[in-house]
Amino acid sequence: MSGRIAVPVFPGTNSEDETVRLLRDCGGDAELVHWSEAQTLGSYDAYVLSGGFAYEDRIRAGAIAAHDRIMDYVIEGAQHGKLVFGICNGAQILLEAGLIPGTGQVRRATAAFAKNAPQPHFVCRHVYLKLEIEPSRCAITAALPPWALVPAWAAHAEGRLAASPENLAQIVSGGHLAFVYAHADGRVDDAAVPNGSALRCAGLVNGAGNVLAIMPHPERDGWTFNHLDRRGNGDVLAPSGGAALFRSFVEAVS
Amino acid sequence: MVNELPGAPNVALRDDELQRIAERLGRQPTVVELHAFDAQWSEHCSYKSSRHHLARLPATSTRVVLGPGEDAGAIHLGTHAGERYAVVVAHESHNHPSQIVPFEGAATGVGGIVRDVLCMGAEVIAVADPLRFGENAHARHVARGAVDGIGAYGNAIGVPNLTGDVYFNEGFDDNCLVNVVALGIVKESDLIHSFAPKGAQGWSIVLVGKATDPSGFGGASFSSVTLDAEESELNKGAVQVPDPFLKNVLMRASYRVFAVLRERKITAAFKDLGAGGIMGCSAEITAHGGYGAEINLDAVNVSVDGMPPEVIAVGETQERLLWILPADTAAEVVRIYNEEFSLPEIAYNARAAIIGRVTPECRYVLRYRGSVVMDVDIEFLTGRIRDELPYTELIRHSGKAAELPAVDVETLFPQVLAHRDVASREPLYRRYDAVVRGCTVLPRGAADAGVLAPVPGSRLGVALAVAGNPRFGRIDATYAAEHAVVEAMRRVVAVGARPIGLTDCLNFGNPRKPDQYGGFVGAVEGLERAATELDLPFVSGNVSLYNESAGGRAVPASAIVACMGAVEDVAQVVTPGLKEPGSALLWVGSRELVLGGSVLAELLGVDGTLPEISYLAERAGVGIVHDAIERGVLRSCRVVSDGGMLTALARLAFDAMLRGRAIGAEIDFGNPLCEAGGYICEVSDESQIDLTGALRIGETVTGSQLVVNGVRFDIPSLFDIWSRPLEEIYP
Repeated sequence: MSGRIAVPVFPGTNSEDETVRLLRDCGGDAELVHWSEAQTLGSYDAYVLSGGFAYEDRIRAGAIAAHDRIMDYVIEGAQHGKLVFGICNGAQILLEAGLIPGTGQVRRATAAFAKNAPQPHFVCRHVYLKLEIEPSRCAITAALPPWALVPAWAAHAEGRLAASPENLAQIVSGGHLAFVYAHADGRVDDAAVPNGSALRCAGLVNGAGNVLAIMPHPERDGWTFNHLDRRGNGDVLAPSGGAALFRSFVEAVS
Repeated sequence: MVNELPGAPNVALRDDELQRIAERLGRQPTVVELHAFDAQWSEHCSYKSSRHHLARLPATSTRVVLGPGEDAGAIHLGTHAGERYAVVVAHESHNHPSQIVPFEGAATGVGGIVRDVLCMGAEVIAVADPLRFGENAHARHVARGAVDGIGAYGNAIGVPNLTGDVYFNEGFDDNCLVNVVALGIVKESDLIHSFAPKGAQGWSIVLVGKATDPSGFGGASFSSVTLDAEESELNKGAVQVPDPFLKNVLMRASYRVFAVLRERKITAAFKDLGAGGIMGCSAEITAHGGYGAEINLDAVNVSVDGMPPEVIAVGETQERLLWILPADTAAEVVRIYNEEFSLPEIAYNARAAIIGRVTPECRYVLRYRGSVVMDVDIEFLTGRIRDELPYTELIRHSGKAAELPAVDVETLFPQVLAHRDVASREPLYRRYDAVVRGCTVLPRGAADAGVLAPVPGSRLGVALAVAGNPRFGRIDATYAAEHAVVEAMRRVVAVGARPIGLTDCLNFGNPRKPDQYGGFVGAVEGLERAATELDLPFVSGNVSLYNESAGGRAVPASAIVACMGAVEDVAQVVTPGLKEPGSALLWVGSRELVLGGSVLAELLGVDGTLPEISYLAERAGVGIVHDAIERGVLRSCRVVSDGGMLTALARLAFDAMLRGRAIGAEIDFGNPLCEAGGYICEVSDESQIDLTGALRIGETVTGSQLVVNGVRFDIPSLFDIWSRPLEEIYP
């Protein structure tokens, strides 16, 4: 029996439909929960915070949403060990909510996904996420192979990990650096990083391993028809590529 | 004289028009009426000097679900699970506003076109943006601001930017062109029209969206005059203010309303507020159903108190739409917007509000603070007015059959690749979200057309491409228009789609100058010929006139065309880049070696004949490409366009290199920088194809070399030259 997954919709969320669709195609029991129904969130077993511009990215991306009623349920769930997976704007919200890296107090951010550098522009670019931790370190990545490469699209203006030197050191020493940016062949260098992110960070995990935040979108390269390098006429509607991470999440929820 | 009334507002209506109004009303118009007619009779709303020419364009085919006339057109895409799906498409310009305030102007252009598609009951699935910028310092500012505005808006509402193009030419120094195309997907049975349905008398008129404010007052008539640099400060007030955050929520709330209407089997009407604001929209939506309307301006949610009634009625505040609904359903719809989607908390005083009702009498009546401020015959207000303007017959380009100069490919090819019309557009489009919604098969930049799989769970695909080369436009408006149709179609074919329909935006100068108007008329003739020959209907379109500087210079003739294509199975879509060494390279198209309008001609400073357009050859070319796909032998394909055949081949090699495949090519070809159009195809086995109309010019090889007529190029070095130039504008 699979657990029930909620994909909450904040005002300004824009990637909710494809997120739910890929979760379902990977076998998950997922549904959208609109902000007007936030009070139902407590009954779900796991949460996926999807991409978008919640509350217009006012102040900083995720800053207002982190204080939304929706996050009361998500924070409480995370503290009780429920799985929480944030993608792009969802990741920004998790950092602002203090759940990631989770080394400080709730709703006091110790790190942020800040404006891209050196160019402070929105960037839409195909990337690969490379798993930097033991798969089992994070429940959501547990079904991935070691050093897994997950194809995805970076599509954000604020995705550069920024934190004080002490907090960055803590991210490294605490094993919070879940994913870095890589090339298709697995090489990791600055050219693979679309946004100037510290530690070439593409994703972070909390200490307990039940909350994961990634900036790129695996769900946008999540079906075979999305892959620009696909060959042959196989089942183009099958979940593949970025779906590997969604499948791993769904397995962990089950 | 009417326009000498004390305190008479500044309107663009001509004296003869003012006189006609006064005669028909039997009295002087009120200030509100004057502004209403000013908007409604502007070129922007009335197409008064263009409509009778546009009527020439073919608009029917067995696939057309809805032709021109409403906010967007619709064309049959295919069937999935027993349901017929249509693609909804709209195409517009936001040229004047973008020249004055580029960010807001371009952003509201996207916002407006998205509403045109949304109001047909469709889910908005893509936008595209053909852009034309000048070369001077202000034009650079415009080029940056417009792109940032398009990105900021489209990215936030979650609609992918699927395709587009950009040209830089000093002819656009004083008038940029910012065209926008939007696509939607809808079950054909769920299409919503923008006119009050049968039996709608007494129904509620529901305004939804942003609180009406004084922005965008006079926008329609501002778009219908020539820009004057000194007045640009003044005109800023006529530009609207975008709110993509509110739009994101409005779209989602409207999708919810669509579901409720489907459940209750209610036929409603829905329309975008564009030019002419509340007045223009409510008058058209009721008049086109054969009704009148009575509106209470006091019921309109406003952002500031004390706005004069003409501003509330005619102002063009963004992010607003209008519903015609039965009274009981209206209450439920208001609840969905205001409570379920909490519009008033999303933006100041945004909401859905019942502002009036549909009347059986054909009058258009506005009330404000207890008195009637407008009461006119609705037919007279919205009816077709026509200006028969004189034009001079276009002088067609004859082109000297100048001898082709000896072309030093080794020196010239790198220059062609670095040319502003050829160099990589990635610095620009990487600022746009191309993949939100997760439906993208070919994102912007990956191929000649963008492709989506718009129906979840279905293999159906839709392709979209745009074209309109201003280097041709400067030479011959008719040719340029014809070529735009042909090229947009080729782009859709090259990704493996079947062309199914067109849209156009005609961006021209001052219709009151016979030579500039002649260019417009000539372009319509070109569009008509190409669309008729290729059997493609125009399902939607737009006209933008007065793209003329204060100095009297019109923009290069710019008939910008979008072509949609249908894909039965997205597995058949041609993926980017050369695939295998040892493939045959086929050239499909005209082998005329002429230079007219090419990048090469510009670099060499020479004139030449324009490449001939042969519809027989075009149809044959489409057949060859489709045949190669059906037989499973087509490995990659690209359209030959700006920069010629060699540029197209280099781009196939770049795309292979970017995906880790070091594949080059060896070819022999007369002048590989000529832009006589067609396709270059990589095929596994040419014996499978009827080669009539195709020519084998070489083959792909292992390694990073491109060898052309014995001249050797290093592909990574060429990539470097090609990929950088636009970073100067878009760092």
